[in-house]
Amino acid sequence: MDEVANKIIGILKKNMKDPPETVSLDTKLSELEIESLDLAVIVFDIEDTFGIQIPYNANEEVQDFATVGSVVERVRSLVGEKGAAGAAA
Amino acid sequence: MTGANGARRVVITGQGVVSSIGTGVGSFWASMRQGVCGVGPITNIPLQDLYITIASEVKDFDPRERCPSKPLMLADRYSQFAGAAAIEAMTQAGFQGRVENGERAASIIGSGIGGLITIEKGYEDLFILRKKATHPLTLLRSIGSSAAAHVSIEYGIKGPCFGTVSACSTAAHAIGLAYQMVRAGMVDLGVAGASEACITFGSMRSWQAMRVLSPDGCWPFAKRRNGTVLGEGAGILVLEEWEHAKARGAKPLAELMGFGMTSDAADMVNPDIEGPTVAMQLALKDAGLAPADIDYINAHGTATTVNDINETRAIRRVFGNAANTVSVSSTKSMHGHCLGAGGGVEAVACLQAMQDNFVPPTIGFDEPGAECDLDYTPNEGRAREVTYTMSNSFAFGGLNAVLVFGPPPA
Repeated sequence: MDEVANKIIGILKKNMKDPPETVSLDTKLSELEIESLDLAVIVFDIEDTFGIQIPYNANEEVQDFATVGSVVERVRSLVGEKGAAGAAA
Repeated sequence: MTGANGARRVVITGQGVVSSIGTGVGSFWASMRQGVCGVGPITNIPLQDLYITIASEVKDFDPRERCPSKPLMLADRYSQFAGAAAIEAMTQAGFQGRVENGERAASIIGSGIGGLITIEKGYEDLFILRKKATHPLTLLRSIGSSAAAHVSIEYGIKGPCFGTVSACSTAAHAIGLAYQMVRAGMVDLGVAGASEACITFGSMRSWQAMRVLSPDGCWPFAKRRNGTVLGEGAGILVLEEWEHAKARGAKPLAELMGFGMTSDAADMVNPDIEGPTVAMQLALKDAGLAPADIDYINAHGTATTVNDINETRAIRRVFGNAANTVSVSSTKSMHGHCLGAGGGVEAVACLQAMQDNFVPPTIGFDEPGAECDLDYTPNEGRAREVTYTMSNSFAFGGLNAVLVFGPPPA
């Protein structure tokens, strides 16, 4: 796993009371007992770590947050967009 | 005179409101009847980098006009709202200037957060602008009991005076406490409710961070609902022992008949079905009414996914078959979520529904959301005999407070 994935898994574990030994890209967020408020905290932490903004509304089901891997992918693309915007500027 | 259970009866002799859809009960109710939406682009603060850019702001509130005394005029916006609503309520009740027997009167006016505009301005001055001093009134404007104190000073209320704090149940708790004090004989008169004015950059950012705000509107119980919308305002009632009101020749608008409060003791954000259920049951029992007696429920109805389903289930559990015939609406669709002040503003909606025999609507309703299967009075208000009403307030932390109103005693 690359640095982005490792950082995100670190953030997830940090915000869980009893994090499991292994969290993989296939792990579903629901299996980690992450609820809406936890997710708001985790999204904040990810935004802060990567300097990005992630659109997320706790009232809506978001596919991007189904598995750890889907979060990593979303963050990777947002980091990429930010880099591209930075290069353009 | 006492009720069937030997307790003193408590009537409402005045009401006052400040809201995005009207300051003063007359304009507030006219807007509600027409289903006016008070939600719109935020104009009172610079948006900076906010991505939620709507709220239900009170417009055209001129403190010089609404707050005749100098202390109120110089107070925080939240105290000004409370003062304006209290003045309207006390004027309607027939009080001018200091009340007689001030020791027998209470001022219980809460706020979810107090003088947040003042606090934020103070920090900006100190930490951003590096000013040498904060405004000398910063402390007095900030404290969450200042609205209650201002109203006590305006009217010479010398008995119990404090604010309640219970997030979105603040006003209902304040009204409920004043009700119990009047009923118990501790006081004869109570000015009670709550006020909120916290649409600030910092507050918007903290709500935004919780990811519960809608980017485009407050549509409780509707399929398209996607979060709540912050509002501001105040709702204040004058509660009075019935004999006391009669002796003054005051005309009761309604009777406050029941109050129930519970705490979920479960989760800070996810509501439990038990807490709201029992709060409604306690309020009905206190009022000596059966669920089928209630004609209209002003729901908490925040337009978050979780609240609206949980509240619907709780109403079904309490009301049984009567849930199919009771009129329900969330007037937050019009005035937004006034947070601590919500239960006060919504109590006024209940009283007006009874006065006018008219149920205010839930506007912006496209179609019922999943598991939202009550009659939410979609989009248009409805004429209906309204004799008894219930006002629900359910707050973060699982703090539940329910009020039941009935007609004035004969």
